[in-house]
Amino acid sequence: MITRNVTILNRAGLHTRPAAAIVKLASEFQSDFFINKDGFQINGKSIIGVMTLAAAQGSELELSFEGPDEEQMSDVLVAYFAKGFDEM
Amino acid sequence: MIDEKKKEQPAWMNFKTLQKEELSVRYFFQKMKDRFKLKLVAGETGLETKKITDKNLHRPGLALAGYVGLFTFHRLQVFGNTELYYLESLPIEDRIRSFATIVAFDVPCIVVPNGNKLGDELLEICNERGIPVFNTTIETTKAIYFISDFLDDQFNLHTTIHASFIDVYGVGMLFVGKSGVGKSEVALDLIERGHRLVADDVVVVTQKGEGILMGAGTDFGEHFMEIRGLGILNVREMFGIRAIRFQKRVEVIVELEVWDSTATYTRTGLDESLIHILGVEIERVKLPILPGKNITVISEVIALNYLLKHYGYDASAAFSKKLEDKIASKSGDTTSGERVIAYFEHDFE
Repeated sequence: MITRNVTILNRAGLHTRPAAAIVKLASEFQSDFFINKDGFQINGKSIIGVMTLAAAQGSELELSFEGPDEEQMSDVLVAYFAKGFDEM
Repeated sequence: MIDEKKKEQPAWMNFKTLQKEELSVRYFFQKMKDRFKLKLVAGETGLETKKITDKNLHRPGLALAGYVGLFTFHRLQVFGNTELYYLESLPIEDRIRSFATIVAFDVPCIVVPNGNKLGDELLEICNERGIPVFNTTIETTKAIYFISDFLDDQFNLHTTIHASFIDVYGVGMLFVGKSGVGKSEVALDLIERGHRLVADDVVVVTQKGEGILMGAGTDFGEHFMEIRGLGILNVREMFGIRAIRFQKRVEVIVELEVWDSTATYTRTGLDESLIHILGVEIERVKLPILPGKNITVISEVIALNYLLKHYGYDASAAFSKKLEDKIASKSGDTTSGERVIAYFEHDFE
C-alpha cells in the first residue's frame, strides 16, 4: 500500500469538475484508491464520495493506493493534485 | 490465525475506526438547544474553550457538601433538586463557598433541569470562570437520560464504509464490493421495487450500545446516488419520500463480487458466516455475480430468510434435521425420490 499526502491548491477547491476527473483517472487503474480527510475515508472511485469531502483550498488529504498498479496510479493522481486540477 | 484472517479481509473492510475525544460545549449546546429547550444563562465565554471529554454525567451532591475526593469534575455536572435545595438551605456565604469549591475545578459545564435556577450570586461566579450554565424545564431524570443518550452517541465508535445501504422488508442490508461491481444499480432496482434507500456510496456506521450497528448517510450526500452512464440522481426527488429513510440498523452485509470459480460459495447456508464491524457481529453473505442472475430478487430473499431465521425458522437447519430424522428412523422405509403426494385422489388439475 502506498500513502501520499496532498494539498488542495486551486482557489475553487475540489469541486464537481475535478472530482469527476479524479474518479475518471482512478477508474483507469485496477488498484483500490481511498481518500482520507479529517479521519473521514471515502472511496476515490466514487464521485459522490469524492464530492462529499467538500475539500476547500488548503485542505490536506491523504491518498492511499493498494493493488497491482498502485505505483503508477499514485503517480498519476498525485500529479493531478499537484497541478491544482489544471486551474492554476 | 488473526494474521491469516487479516489477509483475507476484503478491501471494503479497510476503513478507519473513529472515536471523538472531545466535544466543545458550543457543539453540545447547538445540538441540544432546540430539542430540549436548553437556555444558556451564564458563562458564554466558556462555550468554545470548555470541552466535554466523558460520556458520563455527574451529580455533584457530595462535592457541594465539601467532599471532593474522587470528584469527577471533568464530566458534565447536573444540578438536580438535591443539589439546589441543599445550596438554598445554606446561608449565603456558605452557599458561595460551597459552590466555589466545585467551580475551582475545570468543570466543562453545568445543566440545571426541572425548571430550577441557580441564584444570581452563583451565576456570577460561573460568568467569571467561564463555565457555561444551561437551564431546562425537563425533569432531572429525563434530562439525564437524554443527555447521556446524546453523549453516548457522540462518543461511540464510528466509521465510513463505501457501500449502498437499503432497508429491504425492514432488514438493513449493506451492499459492499469493488467499485463498479454494481452496488448502486442493485440499490436502484430495490428502490424501484418499493424498498427504501438509506445511503449510497458513503455510509456512516455507528456502534450503538452492545451489539447494535446503526447506519446513515452523510449530511452532505444524503440520498444522492451515481449511476454509471447516467450521472447523479436524487432518489428522494425522483421516487419520493417513501423511497428513503434516514437511518437503519445494519443487519446483513452482502458482498457482491465477480464470480470467482476458485472461491467457494455456501450451498446449504448452514455454515453461517459472521463478520466483525466495530466489534459488532453481523451476518455476511457472499454473492457472486453471474449473467442471468437477478441480484435484486436474491437480495429480497436474503432479507426474507433473515426475517424467518429471526422469528425462529431456519430453512437450512430444518431441511438438515429432516434428513437426519429420515436416516435415523428405523422404519425400513429407505426409498428415495418418493413423491410428496402418495395418491392423487382423482385430483387431475
